[in-house]
Amino acid sequence: MKRLFFVLCIVLLLALMVVSATMGAAHIAWADLWQSPIFLNLRLPRILLCVLAGAALSVSGASYQAIFRNSLTDPYVLGISSGASLGAAIAIVAGLQYTLLGIGGCALLSALFTIWLIYRIATIGNRLHSTTLLLTGVCLTFLISALVSLLMVMHQDKMESIIFWTMGSFASATWNGVFTLLPVVVLGMAVVLRHARDLNLLLVGSEAAQSMGVDVEKVKKRLLLATTFMIAFTVSCSGVVGFVGLVVPHCVRLIVGPDNRRVLPYSIVLGSIFVLVCDTLARTLLQPGELPVGSLTALVGAPLFIYLLYRNKQML
Amino acid sequence: MTAPAMISIQHLHCAFGSRQVLCDINADIEQGGMYAVMGLNGCGKTTLLRCIGNLIRPQEGVVCIDGVDVRDYGIRRLAQQVSLVRQHSNTDFEFTAFETVLMGRNPYQYRLQNESQRDWEMVERCMRLTNTWELRLSKPHEMSGGEWQRVMLARALAQDTPVMLLDEPTSNLDIAHQFEIMELLCKINRSQGKTILIVMHDLNLAYRYCPSLLLLHDHRVYFQGPMSAGLTPANIQKVFGVDYPFLKAH
Repeated sequence: MKRLFFVLCIVLLLALMVVSATMGAAHIAWADLWQSPIFLNLRLPRILLCVLAGAALSVSGASYQAIFRNSLTDPYVLGISSGASLGAAIAIVAGLQYTLLGIGGCALLSALFTIWLIYRIATIGNRLHSTTLLLTGVCLTFLISALVSLLMVMHQDKMESIIFWTMGSFASATWNGVFTLLPVVVLGMAVVLRHARDLNLLLVGSEAAQSMGVDVEKVKKRLLLATTFMIAFTVSCSGVVGFVGLVVPHCVRLIVGPDNRRVLPYSIVLGSIFVLVCDTLARTLLQPGELPVGSLTALVGAPLFIYLLYRNKQML
Repeated sequence: MTAPAMISIQHLHCAFGSRQVLCDINADIEQGGMYAVMGLNGCGKTTLLRCIGNLIRPQEGVVCIDGVDVRDYGIRRLAQQVSLVRQHSNTDFEFTAFETVLMGRNPYQYRLQNESQRDWEMVERCMRLTNTWELRLSKPHEMSGGEWQRVMLARALAQDTPVMLLDEPTSNLDIAHQFEIMELLCKINRSQGKTILIVMHDLNLAYRYCPSLLLLHDHRVYFQGPMSAGLTPANIQKVFGVDYPFLKAH
């Protein structure tokens, strides 16, 4: 029964990918799909990129929520996505834009630096405080967005629109991006899924987890590295698409309960669906123009964040 | 004459920053012993348990379990030797009592592998033993403090370790449940030969149920040995600074 439901979710994702492929400014007949350059070079890589990004962001969000034991954290709220965008922007300004690996590498370094900084700031004594953690993330996001905007204003010739980096967009999707992101996301997801049970124990508490045989420090480091890898490369391809890692795991938990052995796989599939739907809406709602996809995800995510904040008031 | 030392603590020093918490602790905990660890608040009882569980690194000294330094066990193998019931366990998650107890089986499970028949049986047995089987589908916030404490005990039992460390396991409980838990621990201690260390504050309860005493005073071991020899009015006066008339009757 449970397995059937999961298969249904995957079928739904595939169906939505097909539907999304037929939607858009240019009408493409079914018969011509595989001959159409618009489909092959624009829509197909874009759809695949949405799927990969959605999976990466949601699975990272779910891991963060267990690692930080805080249902309000995700790569965007903690500023990791912004951190990655700064690295990517620096790479482009420095002239590394021709290799996605170069951009991804710089994004990775600055994302890692961001997460280290957050850890350093938010840890008091031996404990990580929820409130400090969230505030640090929000402040770093402001700071980094400002730096990215500054870089862009100073190098207008080299950078795409500010919107791309601060609100996210899949408009510049290429096959190159898909092939760079694919191995990173697959590997990252494999690492996270392997640790699903450890994440359950971490939710109960670091010390309790350690006394039940989880090598807490090692697991946390490994998972933060794996998720940061995924986030950095996703951001290099799509800019900062916010709140995906918050919305999706939360909804998944409402359906399947708290066990990460179910939450993680469902987050991967439903995250793909969520980003795909948002992006399809983003490129079709205001034809011939486009909305930044991040504004759509934020439209769903920000109210949910406020709701969670309201519900958890006494916890913070 | 005496059973071999299960836990041997030598020259243990532990400080948090400039605050010395444990100072030259030496103790031998006998196999199959049931010890009450007592002393004033802040004298290092909890820290001692955490050192034994290798959850913090002491500045100096070693703790050996079964002759092996706890730092050499590896986290997974140590979790098969020592289980811990903490004083304050957080309850802000949505796992059911059953799922929580099942987590105690983690040291015996491999990645990506599902729970074995043995895990299920063990969990059911431990939950029946602690009288929590009826609560198995409840979530933490639906349970009382005492019920949750019993679930935590069930989880430690499911971990199936020769050594159990308990940090004030009865502090949230009414007197009936205090007795119930202590009776249960005695039964486990006798029937399964587990070595049990319990941090507790209730002198009566300790006197009644624990044959051995580890009394800490001023961050050092003040007394180690049989309860009847250790919990004397003089020692109580010295360690706790109060006259406690109850024990004079014994």
